[in-house]
Amino acid sequence: MVVRKMNGLERVMTALRLKEPDRVPHFERIAGKVREGILPGASEEDFVEHMDLDGIRFIDRTHSWSYETVDEAKRIKRDQWGGLVRYTSEDNPVPVEPAIKSEKDLENYVLPDPDEEWRYEYLKQLAKRFKGERAIVVGVTDIFALGRENILGDVGYFRAMVKNPDFIYRTSEIILDYQLRYMRNCSELGVDIFWVNGDWAMTERPMVSREFTEKFLAPPFKKLVDYAHSLGVSVIKHTDGNIWPIYDTIIDAGTDGLHPIDPMAGMDIGEAKAKFGDKVCLCGNVSCAFSLVSGTEEEVRQETREVIRKAGKGGGLICMSSNSIHSGVNPKNYLAMVKAIREFGQYPLALD
Amino acid sequence: MNLEELSQAVVAGDIDTAEKLTKEAIASHIPIADILGAGLVPGLRRVGELFEKGEYYLPELIVSGDAVARALDYLEPMMGQKGASYMGRYLIGTVQGDVHDLGKNIVIMMLRGNGWEVTDLGVDVSPQEFCSAVSTGDYQIVGISSLLTMTMVNSAKTIEALKAAGVRDKVKVMVGGAPTTAEWAAQIGADAHAKDGPMAAIVAAELVGKS
Repeated sequence: MVVRKMNGLERVMTALRLKEPDRVPHFERIAGKVREGILPGASEEDFVEHMDLDGIRFIDRTHSWSYETVDEAKRIKRDQWGGLVRYTSEDNPVPVEPAIKSEKDLENYVLPDPDEEWRYEYLKQLAKRFKGERAIVVGVTDIFALGRENILGDVGYFRAMVKNPDFIYRTSEIILDYQLRYMRNCSELGVDIFWVNGDWAMTERPMVSREFTEKFLAPPFKKLVDYAHSLGVSVIKHTDGNIWPIYDTIIDAGTDGLHPIDPMAGMDIGEAKAKFGDKVCLCGNVSCAFSLVSGTEEEVRQETREVIRKAGKGGGLICMSSNSIHSGVNPKNYLAMVKAIREFGQYPLALD
Repeated sequence: MNLEELSQAVVAGDIDTAEKLTKEAIASHIPIADILGAGLVPGLRRVGELFEKGEYYLPELIVSGDAVARALDYLEPMMGQKGASYMGRYLIGTVQGDVHDLGKNIVIMMLRGNGWEVTDLGVDVSPQEFCSAVSTGDYQIVGISSLLTMTMVNSAKTIEALKAAGVRDKVKVMVGGAPTTAEWAAQIGADAHAKDGPMAAIVAAELVGKS
């Protein structure tokens, strides 16, 4: 059988439709340090082109949220929601103080303006360079994650789930208003996929009970998915952790892809393929905790082969790491993973 | 008075009742050790069991923690007095490069509720800061938390730094955090691993022979 060569966008979208592309697609978020180890001095966009990756990710937290410096030495800034974030050594802004601490704060809350043009400058650049050729994947922070991390804070959010559910509902509505407008603006500029980022689970178990997942997490997520679909845009949901007890709530919300099928949390991608691979595209899961960091290139090659063997059959797989190509990943191992995807991921697969 | 009710208030996350019963117990001259040992600790143990069984999740842990914290507001000023000694001194921090503190704070809540005196170094704590605190303080256990896959390596670096500073044998080292495993803990030379807050309190007691 002759398979027509696809471009990156076609490859990714075919996998998301649970069909077989010409080969297993791949794209990633790749830390600057790893990129630097492979192609010194290259921009992220140049790197994507050099590696012929099938898509590029736009991170909302870093590319379209505003920040104001509060303490330069401690790398603390105030984010656009009103809370404080502290930058990690990976340059990730991690919330350290929430925006809303009381009912009064919520009543007086002024939402940032999602229609400000500057938020979309990077997306415009990506669309100009990659539209139609590679998947343009735009981050939309999950309503639960945004509410929990930036708006109410972990403790405030979890406490309110038990003691004051209405506080959560009202907060979610406010955040949804922003995110839906942001998504509409992105759709007008050429986004192909919304990457809904935000963990629902820990290594051992989901963060909240199934009852709370159905009550607080799934409904606003479904609104994001439904809206994306109404705009003609696909959705990949990211959540680390063990989601076995709640995976159906994510799939029932209508997501097209699920990332990363966390192996550290006991999520076997073969089992995922058997249980829900006919409903959602699997995105994962070469270990960025072990093999990509400290394994040999051959170990990475074999693990990548195994991921494709277990989950690639019939399509519906985007082969990625188990979280991201963070700065601890050995650049040689990332190259080994990409090479292995190209080596073993040609359809029709011949790995059994 | 019946301290079982205090335990139940902790399990239910009922802050007001926990406060009221703690004040009543103190007014009734019940020894602090008994208020802890027959009130808060059994309550927290039950919370831990419910968490391990998958009946309680983070929201329930948080509100139970709130109830314990309120009780400790009244009890801690009296700790260290006759008949109310601490389980021991515990030093804890989130590793360098990681600023997550939810897991660490749940561990602290469980430890304090179980009678530990806890010193919290906060987040993004460098190996040197851990070493300095261990050198100058009198701690039985050091807890190192890493919540990110990419910062796990800094737990190992912290243990190495404790060795290099010659203070590794002064303390027991516990590691934990969302992506960590017991196997990994053994590999990096920790004394123990705790997969979550409730387990941390149990493991800490075992490490000092008070389980």
